[in-house]
Amino acid sequence: MSLLKVAGLNKKFGQHYALSRIDFEIVPGEIHALVGENGAGKSTFIKIVTGVYAPDGGDIIWQGSPVVIADPSDARRIGINVVHQDRHLIPSFTGYENLYLGLPYPKSKTGIGVHWKQMRQRAARLMEEYGVRLDMNKTADRMSPPEKTMLEILRAMMLECKLLILDEPTASLTDQETEQLFALIRKLTEQGTAILYVSHRMDEIFRLSDRITVFRNGERVATVNRNETDKDRLISLMNNSEYKKSNREERAVPPGEPVLQVKELSTEDGKVDRVSLQVRQGEIVGIFGLAGAGRTELLEAIYGLRRISGGEIVIRGLRKKEADPRQSLDQGVVLIPEERKRDGLIMGMSIRENMTLPVLRKFSSGWKIRKKPEKAETKRWMEDMNVKASGPEQAVGQLSGGNQQKVVFAKALMSSPVLFLCDEPTQAVDIMTRDEIHRLLKHQADQGCAVLFVSSDLQEVLDISDRLYVLHEGRIAAELANRSVTPEQVLAYCFSQGKERGHQHG
Amino acid sequence: MLIVLAFSILSPDSFATIDNAINISRQISFLVIIALGATLVMAVGEFDLSVGAMASLGGVFAAKLAVAGYPLAVVILLPMLVALAIGYANGWIVTRFRVLSFITTLAMGTIIGGINFRITGGATVFENIPDSFRYLGQTEWGNVPLLSIIMLLMTVLFWYIMSHTAFGRKLYAIGGNESASRVAGVRVALNKNAAFALCSMLATLTGILMASRLGSAHPNGGDGLFLSAYAAAFLGMTSFKEGVPNVWGTFVGAAIIGILANGMTILNVPTFMQDVITGCIVIAAVLIQKLGRDRA
Repeated sequence: MSLLKVAGLNKKFGQHYALSRIDFEIVPGEIHALVGENGAGKSTFIKIVTGVYAPDGGDIIWQGSPVVIADPSDARRIGINVVHQDRHLIPSFTGYENLYLGLPYPKSKTGIGVHWKQMRQRAARLMEEYGVRLDMNKTADRMSPPEKTMLEILRAMMLECKLLILDEPTASLTDQETEQLFALIRKLTEQGTAILYVSHRMDEIFRLSDRITVFRNGERVATVNRNETDKDRLISLMNNSEYKKSNREERAVPPGEPVLQVKELSTEDGKVDRVSLQVRQGEIVGIFGLAGAGRTELLEAIYGLRRISGGEIVIRGLRKKEADPRQSLDQGVVLIPEERKRDGLIMGMSIRENMTLPVLRKFSSGWKIRKKPEKAETKRWMEDMNVKASGPEQAVGQLSGGNQQKVVFAKALMSSPVLFLCDEPTQAVDIMTRDEIHRLLKHQADQGCAVLFVSSDLQEVLDISDRLYVLHEGRIAAELANRSVTPEQVLAYCFSQGKERGHQHG
Repeated sequence: MLIVLAFSILSPDSFATIDNAINISRQISFLVIIALGATLVMAVGEFDLSVGAMASLGGVFAAKLAVAGYPLAVVILLPMLVALAIGYANGWIVTRFRVLSFITTLAMGTIIGGINFRITGGATVFENIPDSFRYLGQTEWGNVPLLSIIMLLMTVLFWYIMSHTAFGRKLYAIGGNESASRVAGVRVALNKNAAFALCSMLATLTGILMASRLGSAHPNGGDGLFLSAYAAAFLGMTSFKEGVPNVWGTFVGAAIIGILANGMTILNVPTFMQDVITGCIVIAAVLIQKLGRDRA
């Protein structure tokens, strides 16, 4: 008998189907892996099953009878729990307190105080049951990532949990920690709890799971038994058959001198780990990686927004001395940030004030800003970039997403850059703007600029880059010249666990 | 406007006179100058709660120096330098360690308050103050007090800085979106520190002018200006430029508060009621603006 069965599930965001006609089934005690590329619909699916989103169509059948899961507490009540990558623990609370989050604390006899003893006993029983050893007196912020994950799993088991969803639980664990976690997961399944395991890591999926479901573009393409498939076959299933053959044209100008050289770069937070790469004049270099691979962090480190712990950055032969965006701009480096609202624009200020902010010096004589040339130049760029607005004085917050992105690009171009760092340059813009931005990057490269861009859209990377790097867990997994590179090849690097670490399994 | 009209009707003989207008301009000069500083710090999205104590320090420090016989230049410049250092320290703690400016400047204000009492021994400084020290506060050119002229000069100066220089633009950019400003190459910490330093210096100038006007300096003589300064800046935010701290708005805000106080004094409204009414008007102004924006 199935525990959870989903039939014909649909979810639309605007015009776009995030999930379409999903059929899915999980049985008690099963470890069921869910895999797919960025944007395949895994997260949306989890959010529907746990009541965060309401489906637009389809049936959810829980233990044989149809249910409506209206909100997350509904999901918990019937026995569905989720442990996320970004953890839901309160840092200053102890293990005990976190364990009881969202549950009534047991009351002491007076009816006022908390019955701590009862809490401790229950926690001890729980830990013994699942063979977990954890210091529950520690506050969550002093726990290691695996301890936190285990605490969250224990918390899920406080109520009767029949389906536990693990969303990338091992993203930041060492091998030994992973082992502990796996032991716990197996214990759970012995008791009949089903596990829905979402991961990018093929090794783990093949070690743990009974069945594997593959999502692609919001559709379920296959559900296979673990021992009837292998890694290559899975990757080809995940691979988007709709990938067009790259329409990239060989660029006329051969690349020149290196503009950016990065040597063994690591960040303090460990998100970027000994990365070396280079970008030459007239070259467009793409960086592809799955979510959490350290793509944004790498660009931020190069630009000077993130503290580095080792390695060096050389721009046109000059070594960068300190992490300082001002210095980067002065050296001709510009960053097109991923989050336009947060890092790209000042929404309450005008187009003019936004565009000229990095180059105010150009318009200042002494102390005074010369507003006439400032305005004239802004107008010129608005025409060049085809920005649709009432004029340079309109607040950027009132523009459409595509036009905002054009302002971001115009702002970058104003400082006559030699190196573009673009983080998801065409995210959330319409298709027209997307083409315009691609043309612009190519044009800039033809003029002798260097472009380094990050994208989670593999098609985009294959379409416009001359060369590409595959980033995996903060490290460069591969460098590929973009000549007849297939999507399968790129994805294979993303899903393979770092070979350098000498894993035996898989 | 309404307020002016109301007082003019209620008390035509004493309120609506040129003499009284000049009187008001002198009375609000302290508030305007100290509120200009508050406006700068608010423009970068922070608060400086030490301005009141800073003004008191400026007053007693300058008065002490004057009594000790130092020339006027020293009497003014030395406290200003100290203010520069203290303001910069405020900014440094806020930007370097990411401490909330609320907490930092509250503590700094407490420290300064303590120092003021140490300097004065708790007593008002008034004996042997030389006449030269009273020059700034008590001179009148024709009918116009020098204080009013200083106030206008300061307002114009800071209006110019905030709307016509790269520095002012950067301050507003930081207040609008700190993260985006950093990406755009604005040195956020440096500019914030400068805003804090200027704010402290304006507060100190206020204290010096007050002491000069009164011919005496009390160790917490400037403390009362602190809340009014923010009231003026908030009123200014609501009356101009929808929600952005700005110099002329602050000037008008301070003028409103000054006119209210003056008018109510003429009408013999007791001081405690004046405070209540001023507070109510600030809340009302902020609410009106908020409701207006929600509707838009």
